[in-house]
Amino acid sequence: MLSVLLLCPLIGMLVVLALPKTAVRAIRFVALLASGLALAFAIQLFQFFRPQEAIQLVERIVWIPQMRIFYHVGVDGLSLPLVFLTVLLGFIACLASASITERQKEYYALYLLLEMGMLGTFMALDFFLFYVFWEVVLVPMYFLIGIWGGGRREYSAFKFFVYTLAGSLAILLAILMLYFRTGTFDMVALAQMGPLLEPDLQRLLFVAFFLGFAIKVPVFPFHTWLPDAHVDAPTPISVLLAGVLLKMGGYGFFRIAYPICPEGAQWAAGAMAVLGMINIVYGAFVAMAQTDFKKLVAYSSVSHMGFVLLGLASLQTEGVNGALLQMFNHGTITGGMFLLVGVLYDRAHTRDLNAFGGLGAHMPKFSGLLIFFGLASLGLPGLSGFVGEFLSLLGAFGVWRWQTVVSVLGIVVAAAYILTAIQRVLLGPPNERWKNLPDVNPREMASLIPLVVLILALGVYPLLLIDLQDGAVQQFIAHVKGP
Amino acid sequence: MERFSSLSPTSKDRSLSFVKHPSIRIDINYRELLLHEIRYELRKMSALLLESLRAWWPETILSFGALGVLLLGAWVRPAGPSKATSNGGLFAAETSTTSTRLFWIASGVILVASGVALWFSPTSPDSETFFGLIICDPLSRVLRWIALATTALVILMVVDSREVVSHRRGEYVGLLLLIGLGLMLMAEANHLLMAYVAMELVSLSSYVLVGFLDQRRSAEAALKYLFFGALSSAVMLFGMSLLFGLTGQLGFPDILQALMRPVAGSGALMMVAVTFLLAGLAFKISMVPFHMWTPDAYEGAPVPVAAFLSVGPKAAGLALLLRVMTALGPRWPDLEPLILSLTIVTMTLGNLVAIVQTNVKRLLAYSTIAQVGYLLIGFSVNSNLGLQAILVYLVAYMFMNLGVFACAVAVVNDSGNESLEAFRGLAQRSPVLAFLCTLFLLSLAGIPPLLGFFGKFLLFGAAVESGQIVLAIAGVVNSAVALYYYINLVRLMYLLDPQQARPLHLKLPLRLAVVLCGVGTLWLGLFPNELVALLRGSSFISLF
Repeated sequence: MLSVLLLCPLIGMLVVLALPKTAVRAIRFVALLASGLALAFAIQLFQFFRPQEAIQLVERIVWIPQMRIFYHVGVDGLSLPLVFLTVLLGFIACLASASITERQKEYYALYLLLEMGMLGTFMALDFFLFYVFWEVVLVPMYFLIGIWGGGRREYSAFKFFVYTLAGSLAILLAILMLYFRTGTFDMVALAQMGPLLEPDLQRLLFVAFFLGFAIKVPVFPFHTWLPDAHVDAPTPISVLLAGVLLKMGGYGFFRIAYPICPEGAQWAAGAMAVLGMINIVYGAFVAMAQTDFKKLVAYSSVSHMGFVLLGLASLQTEGVNGALLQMFNHGTITGGMFLLVGVLYDRAHTRDLNAFGGLGAHMPKFSGLLIFFGLASLGLPGLSGFVGEFLSLLGAFGVWRWQTVVSVLGIVVAAAYILTAIQRVLLGPPNERWKNLPDVNPREMASLIPLVVLILALGVYPLLLIDLQDGAVQQFIAHVKGP
Repeated sequence: MERFSSLSPTSKDRSLSFVKHPSIRIDINYRELLLHEIRYELRKMSALLLESLRAWWPETILSFGALGVLLLGAWVRPAGPSKATSNGGLFAAETSTTSTRLFWIASGVILVASGVALWFSPTSPDSETFFGLIICDPLSRVLRWIALATTALVILMVVDSREVVSHRRGEYVGLLLLIGLGLMLMAEANHLLMAYVAMELVSLSSYVLVGFLDQRRSAEAALKYLFFGALSSAVMLFGMSLLFGLTGQLGFPDILQALMRPVAGSGALMMVAVTFLLAGLAFKISMVPFHMWTPDAYEGAPVPVAAFLSVGPKAAGLALLLRVMTALGPRWPDLEPLILSLTIVTMTLGNLVAIVQTNVKRLLAYSTIAQVGYLLIGFSVNSNLGLQAILVYLVAYMFMNLGVFACAVAVVNDSGNESLEAFRGLAQRSPVLAFLCTLFLLSLAGIPPLLGFFGKFLLFGAAVESGQIVLAIAGVVNSAVALYYYINLVRLMYLLDPQQARPLHLKLPLRLAVVLCGVGTLWLGLFPNELVALLRGSSFISLF
């Protein structure tokens, strides 16, 4: 079942490669079909999923017997929401890829490879397989930013590649150290064996895993690749970068660093909370100083991912649930924000906040959507952004009091920068330059509506997601805290 | 041979004993006896030789074939003097006459025949082949395959190379085949003299081939290479003679046995001997501080020759290094710190200097040095997994490095330009070539799921397993550094527009070479299980 999900983008990629370069419509159709099928299959997964069970839908085939390496995939409450998020954003960003006008064949082939890599990362249960997928994501991303990006795209693509590769090599070392201690690459078995290792070794391994995942999240001070990559990537790729790639880092903490090295996790919990706090406050303040709309959204990502760290560091039911919710919600909200910035940029060819003004009068649909996503992003109750942040703070408050208090400042600043941005773009005297900008077209509408529905639904009834993940979260906390 | 073995008290009774008693008064009975003994010995020797030859058909075919092609080259000179004078530019005029095609068919037949012979040749674990000069164990079998495959792939690259004037192609191919023979001999040498002769065969042919371009810098490179090479082989020979003086032995198993016994008061001298010996081998595999010749020689050489030099001698040299070190086993603790630090220095220096290169051959030369550094990790840890990792990585290295050189051959052939700029916009001129070239570069950088990654995975794993975390960390940091220059080539190919939009077409042999390397890199990277199973059986050295 899960393999089918992986095969959709892979087969799609092979078909795209087989088509001639000039058959742009066919290529686009195949890509949409492949990502659409993946979405359809992922929705089917919810039928088979039993929230109270641990890892399920497992497939395990021998791959390299000499090293005891398996093709081993499965999902549980921690990964299923992220798998769904991946295929959803994968399909939406594919819709939004109509703005790509050159070298489409290469674009869609790399795009589908990227989607497969992301899906595989969330489903892999064998360390070797996990690492392969983790790295497979890097290569297409390099090209997607480097060829179709804007601004200093070569620099940004390269920076992204080197930063994340450096991090993943630290993960590789940790994987090897674990293998030669325990003799297995099986992540499920390692979660059982890891806590039995010496505390010092667990701490060392945690540091290595932390380096790899923290660069991906990104945690301050490893975040400097993010604004460059997000800003210079083309719109659909920014959506995937913010929506899915950052979650790979967070997921790494949930699936690997915490369960395998619980001793290390508890040892580093204080540092994680402080880093989360710095992410929230620092990201928010830097976002406030931006005049480039896309850069503002990029830094807001840094701020929002801080809540994931804070909630995780609490190791309370509320906090961990909040962290997972925040990962999903950040994907939908920031994905939508990037799409909207893309809409604006496609029409005006600038993202300078000072250049706009009064767009609300000309583009009512756009304004409505921007205000909706903006409010979701700043954490308005009733929309999904609020739930994740609130639960994270609630969980952390009992454990890390002053860090949580300082973090709340981040929400205040978020309100400030989001509202300022909305004001500069939509309100004020109408700028004559933008009088003839067309409003959001049906295709763009189609890509945004599902996100709106999800944000609203999860904001009003977050149990939709919490029910799925709570069983896994309880096990996770019990496992990490130990007996 | 006879004199050396008679010096050793432990050597088995294979000396020609009749020569030892020339002064004995011979009466009739005695003469009968002596004649009988001579006959017996001769029969024994010829039986042994025949037996040895049976395991040695691939080398026999290759050596006669190489000499045949050389003769053919002297005999069939297709191009008149007009062709020879017209090569003022980088390239001679292209002449693909039927007689030059003859060489390719001949070399193809020779290589295939040699391959078939190797397929059927026995792997005897005992070391009696050619009186213990040669060993045909599973390890040497793998390395013979690597040597043969490297030769074949390089010959495919040479076929349509426009760098070399056509009337020299007989010598060109003949010398390449001779290097292939030398590599096979290096892989199976079990005796210091055999090792020396094999290395000289490779070296001498290489000196000539490096100077094969009709250019000043080519001659300069060859001369430089020759001087460095002569110096290092002299040093190595000195080391060998010291070792012989200390142990009284030349065969690797005998040396090991001699070293097992405590030798009083020769510690310092032994270190000198071993160091000198290693220096010669380090020269062959471009290990720091004996790497200086590499970039210059590669830059002056035709691209396919540089490709050959960057794979063949590295693999064979490493194999020899493994055997020599196994023979010097008791001395390993003294050497370990030295080897360990040189390993780290080799990869770091190679990677750092590669970053600033602008000529593709020089870039790949420094990349070779760095890759040798990674390979040496498996050697430094001195474990079974390390040896396995070396073998896997050698196979990976053969495919990916020859692949990248084959791409360079295509680009240099097309543009006549060796700077990295010639790769600009390759993705738009030849998407398949650019894709495969990217595959090779990413594999060299160690990105999964390519074979280079799996090899590195094993190498770093071997370092972690034996507790040499420093080595593993050095390898990891270097991998990140190396990404810089590998990805720079990818950037040129994909992110920039070409200088000329003309599509780049590859001739069939070169295309075959690139595709073979690509399939090896990708397919074996995805499914390395068969390869690992195959090499696991070969990853022990039998010296007894």
